[in-house]
Amino acid sequence: MQLTLENLRERIPYHGALLGFFTLMTSAALIGANLVTLPAIEQAARDDLKVSLLQVLPEGLADNDLLADTLSVVDQGVSRTVYRGRKAGAFSAAVFDYSARGYAGEIKVLIGVDAAGTVMGVRVLKHAETPGLGDKIEVAKADWIRSFEKKSLENLSLPRWAVKKDGGEFDQFAGATITPRAVVKAVKEGLQFYAAHRAEISGEAK
Amino acid sequence: MSGQIQSFSKLFRDGLWDQNVVFAQLLAMCPTMAVTTSGTNGLGMGLATTAVLVVSNMLISAIRDFVSDQVRIPVFVVVIATLVTLVDMSLNAWLHELYKVLGLFIALIVVNCAILGRAEAFAFKNGVIASAVDGLAMGLGFTLALTTMGLVRELIGSGTLFAQASLLLGPAFSFLEVKVIPDYGGVLMMILPPGGFLVLGGLLAVKRLIDQRVAKPACPAPAAHCA
Amino acid sequence: MNSPISTALPSVAASPHAKEFSSVSTVMLKVMLALAPATLCGFWYFGWPAISLWLLTVASALAGEAACLVLMKKLVRPALLDGSALLTGWLLAMSLPPWAPWWIGVVGGLFATVVGKQAFGGLGCNLFNPAMVARVALLVSFPVVMTAWVGPSGQSASPGLVESLSITFGGSIPDAYTSATLLGQAKTELSRGVTLLQTFAQGLPVSFSGQRPGSMGETGIVLLAAGGLALLAMRIISWHIPLAMLLGIAIPALIGHAVNPARYLDAGAHLLSGAAVLGAFFIATDYVTSPSSRAGQLVFGAGCGFLTWVIRSYGGYPEGVAFAVLLMNALAPAIDRLCQPRIYGRDWRGNPIKLNKEK
Repeated sequence: MQLTLENLRERIPYHGALLGFFTLMTSAALIGANLVTLPAIEQAARDDLKVSLLQVLPEGLADNDLLADTLSVVDQGVSRTVYRGRKAGAFSAAVFDYSARGYAGEIKVLIGVDAAGTVMGVRVLKHAETPGLGDKIEVAKADWIRSFEKKSLENLSLPRWAVKKDGGEFDQFAGATITPRAVVKAVKEGLQFYAAHRAEISGEAK
Repeated sequence: MSGQIQSFSKLFRDGLWDQNVVFAQLLAMCPTMAVTTSGTNGLGMGLATTAVLVVSNMLISAIRDFVSDQVRIPVFVVVIATLVTLVDMSLNAWLHELYKVLGLFIALIVVNCAILGRAEAFAFKNGVIASAVDGLAMGLGFTLALTTMGLVRELIGSGTLFAQASLLLGPAFSFLEVKVIPDYGGVLMMILPPGGFLVLGGLLAVKRLIDQRVAKPACPAPAAHCA
Repeated sequence: MNSPISTALPSVAASPHAKEFSSVSTVMLKVMLALAPATLCGFWYFGWPAISLWLLTVASALAGEAACLVLMKKLVRPALLDGSALLTGWLLAMSLPPWAPWWIGVVGGLFATVVGKQAFGGLGCNLFNPAMVARVALLVSFPVVMTAWVGPSGQSASPGLVESLSITFGGSIPDAYTSATLLGQAKTELSRGVTLLQTFAQGLPVSFSGQRPGSMGETGIVLLAAGGLALLAMRIISWHIPLAMLLGIAIPALIGHAVNPARYLDAGAHLLSGAAVLGAFFIATDYVTSPSSRAGQLVFGAGCGFLTWVIRSYGGYPEGVAFAVLLMNALAPAIDRLCQPRIYGRDWRGNPIKLNKEK
């Protein structure tokens, strides 16, 4: 029998070889692309992180590279990364993330505090709240998230760290109480976490 | 040559209207429902899909002589998935700002059955150039459908048109962003999945109506049949 | 259902037939009569805003029906006058917050008949209960407005006609009037970690007079139940769906409350609040969207009740009757298939029963 492409294509070994060939080629292409793009992707992710870290700290509070000065703090069995800001070498600010359960899953917030533990800024990193109702916690949708700024555990008593419906300081949204309540809880617990580990984070405990 | 141009115009007619991926074939329902919450999202998803569709059609068409019928589907799947991953990686690395807007959609393109559908229905049987044109036409039709759906849902759901278009297309296109109804509370359901089904149903009815109107003069059947 | 067609046919001779004058419009009329006392009671409790909302909702439902009939080139008068669209709008109005703004009634009424009913082909063809389709669409679309409840005040303390018009057409309810429903309060307090025992330490705000915040279909429970019993007596509905639905809510509620009273409301609170009674007698019993066999109706009713309890206890929304009815509507054709009555002379599988001599 003549060996043409037509009748070769019908043979089972050819099928196997063909699939093998394509898998090999596509894998090679993916490995190659991964090698080429990895440094650029990592750089981009670092830049993104840097931008979001700077959002929660006012300008001039820290002059170092926050990404280069991190510390892992173990709190209640969970390890958290804290980015430390320094001004002229002295500890001046800390940025860390904290989360709480919202209406539809976890809400993750990034909290920036100064050395004394006063909130400098809060931004929501991740949430799955109802669009149009619970998403007013995003800074792009509403200014609500800025109401945390300049607040601390010292200048606001613990019971006041709640939404107004629960007798606290912060507004709830019309029709959505659970979402702001979760964010308030996350920020409050974040500040408590910072207060508990302040010495460790600032490096004064040595 | 004129025959070829004619057939290309037929491909475009098919892709944009007669065989539109969403409005006629009812394929790719997953991205259609998931991302059409605004005109901008629909446009972004449509354009990203178009790019992948053109390249995948060309690739499949180029290898069609070597691939046996029996194993063509796994080969298509591997090729398309790789292609999408490559696009995802390179956008992430070199066009990061665009990636932040489109990143969510690109991973979704893998599950878009329109791409596998065109590979199977067209590219596997036609030449490279024709396949590229078919991919472009089908992709643009998909873009048209998604943008229309997105605009309708956005208008009723939040009272705006092309919100945040400048993020996708650059600041030059910020003129597209319109707030149609000021102080609009919004109809939440339109942004949620049920709104997608409602709007798709409505638009399908509109398309049928237009087709019927266009076909009417050429329909000599009894009037009762046409109505 | 006895369709008007049967009266139009020449007398069919075979078998014994019971003859009764019954058509769509007489059935609808009787249902409306049964619904009227509770509605009047709702008007009394909630005043002028409730009356104007009711009028708007019913008018919009009728307008939507008429517009669709015109578009589809069908006869408008007979379909419009059979009362089904009016009843749809009426039931929808009963389930809305009584002081909702005018556009809630208009959007809801239009949605009910246009999308919920006529898009499927009109009376008898709709898969889902149109009033509940509209209620769910409104709740999902406008969660803030649809959960703004007021307490019943009686005609004396309620706002005057002018103030009422500004509530319905101006948009906002004065803050002094707003309050939460029992189910809503239970859900909110549970979500912030307050147990039901603490929340309702003063006793549950439940009474048979229905003097508490809620929709018109939630207050005046006694009158609603009386209307339902009247429907039973007139043989418009059978006991299967209402009883199964009420038991479907009550039994899990009894068990849950016995196991953990801090987490689950008791059976009485479940039955007397929300749209449990309205749903059991007037909504789940809709001929078009419920199974036709008796066994199927029992399954259907029990499913509506159980899902209602599940959604109230675990779901994101405080009230679940509308969602439960819609979910079971979707299952109704399947239930009808599975609960077919045995054909005379055949076994349950439809095979002919073997005669003894063939053994």
